[in-house]
Amino acid sequence: MATATPSRSVDPTRGRQAVAAWVLALPFMALFLVFTAGPVLASFGMSFTDIRSADMRTPFAVSFVGVDNYLDLIGNPLFRKVAFNTVLYVVLGVPLTMGIALAIAVGLNRITRLRGFFRVGYYLPVITSIVAVSVVWKFLYREDGGLFNTVLSWVSIAGPGWLDSTALALPSVALMSVWRNFGALMVIFLAGLQTIPKEMNEAAEVDGAGGWKRFRHITLPMLRPTLLFGAVITGIGYLQFFEEAYVMTHGGPLDATRSVSYFTYDQFSFGNYGLASAASYLLFLAVVLLTAAQFRLLRSKD
Amino acid sequence: MRPRKSLSTAARTAAVLVAASLVLVGCGRSDDGGGGGDKAEDSKAIAEGPAEGSIEVWAMGTEGEKLGEFAKAFNEDNPDAEVKVTAVPWDGAHDKIANAIAAGETPDVSLIGTTWMGEFAESGGLDPTPEGIVEEGDFFPGAWGSTVVGDTAYGVPWYVETRVLYYRTDLAEKAGWSEPPKTWDELTKFAADLQAKGGAEYGISLQPGQAGSWQSALPFAWSNGATITNDDGTEYTLDSPEMVEGLEYYKTFFADGLSQDRLLDPGELENGFAKGTYGSFISGPWFTGLVEDAGLKPEQYAVAPIPGKDEAPGTSFVGGGNLAVFADSDNRDSAWKFVQWMSQPDVQQDWYTTLGDLPAVQEAWETGKLADDERLQVFGAQLDSANAPPAVPTWEQVASVIDSEVEKAVKDASPVDDAVANMQSQASSIGTGL
Amino acid sequence: MTTTMTPAAGVAADAPVPADRGRDDRRTPWWLWLVLGLGLALMLVPFAWMAISSFKPDSEVVAVPPTWWPETVTTENYELLFTRLDFPTYFLNSTLVALAVTVGNVVFGAMLGYALAKLDFPGKRVIFALVLMTLMVPGVVTFVPLFVLTSNLELTNTLPGIFLPFMAGPFGVFLMRQFIMGLPDELIQAARIDGAGELRIFASVIMPLCGPAMATLGILTFLTSWNNFLWPLVVAQTEDKYTLPVALALYATGQNATKYGLLLAGAVVVVIPVIAIFLALQRYIMQGIAMTGIK
Repeated sequence: MATATPSRSVDPTRGRQAVAAWVLALPFMALFLVFTAGPVLASFGMSFTDIRSADMRTPFAVSFVGVDNYLDLIGNPLFRKVAFNTVLYVVLGVPLTMGIALAIAVGLNRITRLRGFFRVGYYLPVITSIVAVSVVWKFLYREDGGLFNTVLSWVSIAGPGWLDSTALALPSVALMSVWRNFGALMVIFLAGLQTIPKEMNEAAEVDGAGGWKRFRHITLPMLRPTLLFGAVITGIGYLQFFEEAYVMTHGGPLDATRSVSYFTYDQFSFGNYGLASAASYLLFLAVVLLTAAQFRLLRSKD
Repeated sequence: MRPRKSLSTAARTAAVLVAASLVLVGCGRSDDGGGGGDKAEDSKAIAEGPAEGSIEVWAMGTEGEKLGEFAKAFNEDNPDAEVKVTAVPWDGAHDKIANAIAAGETPDVSLIGTTWMGEFAESGGLDPTPEGIVEEGDFFPGAWGSTVVGDTAYGVPWYVETRVLYYRTDLAEKAGWSEPPKTWDELTKFAADLQAKGGAEYGISLQPGQAGSWQSALPFAWSNGATITNDDGTEYTLDSPEMVEGLEYYKTFFADGLSQDRLLDPGELENGFAKGTYGSFISGPWFTGLVEDAGLKPEQYAVAPIPGKDEAPGTSFVGGGNLAVFADSDNRDSAWKFVQWMSQPDVQQDWYTTLGDLPAVQEAWETGKLADDERLQVFGAQLDSANAPPAVPTWEQVASVIDSEVEKAVKDASPVDDAVANMQSQASSIGTGL
Repeated sequence: MTTTMTPAAGVAADAPVPADRGRDDRRTPWWLWLVLGLGLALMLVPFAWMAISSFKPDSEVVAVPPTWWPETVTTENYELLFTRLDFPTYFLNSTLVALAVTVGNVVFGAMLGYALAKLDFPGKRVIFALVLMTLMVPGVVTFVPLFVLTSNLELTNTLPGIFLPFMAGPFGVFLMRQFIMGLPDELIQAARIDGAGELRIFASVIMPLCGPAMATLGILTFLTSWNNFLWPLVVAQTEDKYTLPVALALYATGQNATKYGLLLAGAVVVVIPVIAIFLALQRYIMQGIAMTGIK
């Protein structure tokens, strides 16, 4: 991002650029129009109706209910609770996942021996079966004989049943999720670090810039587009948090770990397509707001 | 890049999408949305003669794996028919069938989980059971009940399961019990004795809410005379003194420390039962295999009918699978002939021999291997006194409401009366969907 | 986080300018190895448990507390998988689907990503907004309409029905756009001055520099597609169109009980190609642009 795109008025290649751009955009747009636009519109329309799975053979014979589904959700205490839980997942999960992924990526970028081995290793949680992950992590969190509490007992602390407590279950599940997900982000950051020309770091080093300084003034700014991507993807991931809560706690105890996506998933499986669609689009709205904030925070300075 | 502009473009694009989708939204609900519903649907009789043509069948898991080979026997009397079985994983099967119905791309016949019947029948995806192909009275009443949506039967019970009391005979002996408990008072005493004298850490293991706990909580309410809906399935009737009393009783096991109050992990129950951590529990027939695999000898445990409030047996839960023919089937008559064949007592016995699924037809229990198996006869006896949940489209949703209110009651987050009143008010606003 | 990061970057500060790998290595401090190594151990445990436990009978897999080594070693889970399932068919279906989805996302993503990052054209902001919005719509909400659409296009029970809807995802476009934005504009300007056409610039200047990004996207997309379960299950109407995860779920999950040994063995089998793809593509991730010789 050394210089901005030249201003429109003076760029003689603009016409050719436009043609090329549309040629390049064509395959994506074609598939998008066929397979994405319609279903998104249909599902958005569904959120303003009382459609249920039993109506799917006659989808147009349902009633238009305006924003009732949205109002129902906002008035639903369970929905408000899961919305709050989801905010907690984002607040706990996004900074931790981003921070660990970046730290490990920078660390791995520094070593040269066994790099490949380490990279696969850190990526393993992403590809390990969630069933195996949940068995092992549930054991770590167990009240009697769990690994965490065994360690605590060495310093004479009687640890709780981490997943059985309404206060601790959510952070516990969030921590497990950070562990499981940062590997994918690490791979993205590693690739992003490659776009920083080595010469820049070397030149700065010759000029006597310290490591922290170079990280602040070269690595972070150069990595900004990738960081933005990582932040957006991770934010979406935690706003749509579901799988870990599903396997670890079934959303309990007393709905303490239930998320908006979990709620939505349930509504879909109950066949409440209208209400579930509305919940999905409320979540969509939250994603849009979070992404807007991230774009604002991480946009390029120029 | 100008991100803020991009996002305001996003907002504008969204506005256009809203406008477009509002146009797409349809013309309003007619009186009766789907096929099922309050009024009995007419069922067309099927043609005489043997089945012919290809009959596509979906069946889940091992049922799907074994059924193809098993169905070859059907060809003996129906040489012109070909049964094509596709095995479908249980995981995701509900969504697969729901989508198939929505798109009109169904096979001819499918195995349908009993709790899905209301939803699929109401969608108009299932064909009403034709008159005369089977006799209602041949089946266990609870199992037949799971096929009846409104006043119409859709499909036929294939196999069943029900929940009974498992207990450690050796620990019971030590605690002074040579017979299983038969009443609620006895069950409480039994669990307390298993714990105090038998050496179990918990006398009994029950589910403290969440994840399908209605299957273990509701039998106590049913045994007490509580109902879930009125007779024609148009209204939920959860809020009753019987329900409150049943759940109060259920709660005592947790309040008195006779049952653990956390959700058990997979494997924990059978392993704990084998180790003597849990002296008893309530579950279905598949647990006999699980506890023996966990190292328990067959003579160390027994099964007994669920204790009733004043006498055994209480009312248990019946689950299992039904066979239904789809409304979109293009070989309907032959499909029903196949379902009819599957419901014959000797075929049901053969299927039990093939896979161990318990027959839904009562006559199949009277002779052969099943008749000689004492443990399974307990299940057979319990099946005479077992309820299916109501076959209404919204049942799964109300079941999850019950799960979560049971959890609140058990964990003292709200009094039982409030929990039951809460169940009722949520269930009423959801409606039965018929 | 910054506390672990600061010294990591700081140690290198006093060292001389790296000239070759050998000198790079000597600068790696012992404690960085320690931190990375300990972290790695934490990552490995569940994977190792999964692999080892796939050789246990069911009752041992769910033993409480979990055991590390099997008391009885059994290959029964794998035998069941390989004898009861038509393995070659499912493997082939899965491979075709995952490759189509991966190639589609990488190629189409790079194309549109480049246009959005570096070209000036009318409609650019609308397209980017659409891409972002699609990324944000939860997948579950479009599932049923998408299936009805696929059915109307007569694509049910076909492999294209399984992969076509996912061949051009917003994730790939966004990822490629962000990476390409990081590439210096001078490259493109220079090529234009040399008289290269726009599409040629994309093909011969940009694409070669996108190795790390495309490899990353390839790895992530392959994994997602390879593990996809519900969509292939619903689209495939007969067993010969099943993908590996669908087939593996056939006998592992029951109506009431789950066969955990079978589940883990299936997970191990499914993960092997994913690791293979990762190993095959990862060397491209570390192919820095400095090495490709801009200057």
